[in-house]
Amino acid sequence: MSRRKKIQDAEELDLVPIMNLVTILIPFLLMASSFVTLAVIDSTLPAIGQPQQVEQDPDDKPPLMLSLMITNMGITVAGADAVLFPEGAPELAEGEDRPPTIPCPGSECASLEDYDVLELTRILGQIKDEYPDDENVILVPESRIPYETIVKVMDHSREDVDSKNADGAARTLFPFVVIAGGAE
Amino acid sequence: MALKKAKRDADAGGLSITSMMDMMTIILVFLLKSYSTDDISVAASDDLVLPVSTTMVKPSLAVNLVVTRSLVVVDGVEVLRLTEEADEENPGEMLVAVPDDEKKGQLITRLYDRLLEKAEDSKQLAEMTASEEHEFKGRILMQCDKNLPFSVIREVMYTAGQAQFSEFRFVVYQGT
Repeated sequence: MSRRKKIQDAEELDLVPIMNLVTILIPFLLMASSFVTLAVIDSTLPAIGQPQQVEQDPDDKPPLMLSLMITNMGITVAGADAVLFPEGAPELAEGEDRPPTIPCPGSECASLEDYDVLELTRILGQIKDEYPDDENVILVPESRIPYETIVKVMDHSREDVDSKNADGAARTLFPFVVIAGGAE
Repeated sequence: MALKKAKRDADAGGLSITSMMDMMTIILVFLLKSYSTDDISVAASDDLVLPVSTTMVKPSLAVNLVVTRSLVVVDGVEVLRLTEEADEENPGEMLVAVPDDEKKGQLITRLYDRLLEKAEDSKQLAEMTASEEHEFKGRILMQCDKNLPFSVIREVMYTAGQAQFSEFRFVVYQGT
């Protein structure tokens, strides 16, 4: 009887040293843990200097020079005119401003959600079909456009998450973003 | 009788650590999972809320330029304070801006001096170590508040460009 009691006593583990260890580990790990993941978007400044004259083969397509103008009225997709309007730019009445390619609902975007970025991705997808080798896009935001909107436009011009490549990855559109001076 | 009561008290005083150990083990595993050794850290505050992006590019070490709604900070040192000006186009609304006396055209003079110093330091380090790892590539990490108007970011980018930093890495929260 007394032997069995002795065995039972011996089985009790002393957890206090482990508790000490864990108590020291927890503050250390709390300091070093991150609950949000950070990432970066690469961008460069536009090149400064004289434009270089490149001999162009007449059979070659003219350069795309894709640029996205972001204003509070919407997003205008532009390029070298001859490219995006092969038949010539559409006629506008005198004094009429050309409306943005992707206008805001109610003529002005009050918040980030008002920009129709899915439509932007669709249009850029069409341009990418025509120019599969082009990878640059120039962003030209208006002065008061919030930084968040610029990041959202960058995201939707970089890749099309809805259409997948053969390997299952999102289709790459125009991954190299250059931010230009912007419209006043 | 009194002896029995004393024994009962002693039994009740013994602490059961097992349940606490369970809890600690769960917390420990959770913290180990979220342990990270990122090169950069963000001091989130009301003035600095980064935007969310779908980019997957991991950040690497570079000069850290933080632009909050009230401050511009380079590598942890405050360089200048931003002001809020009345928005001319939207009466009643305020717009964050760089004070006029801190600017020469679009160049923010104090920020330019500080960044130029950083660029020179990086170049000296590259010369002394003669290693490719420390080579000056003009990279700069930009942490900007999501509500900042582009006018402020443009001036900061222009100034950084003049101080030989031309590769910008905008730090964002990764999201879907």
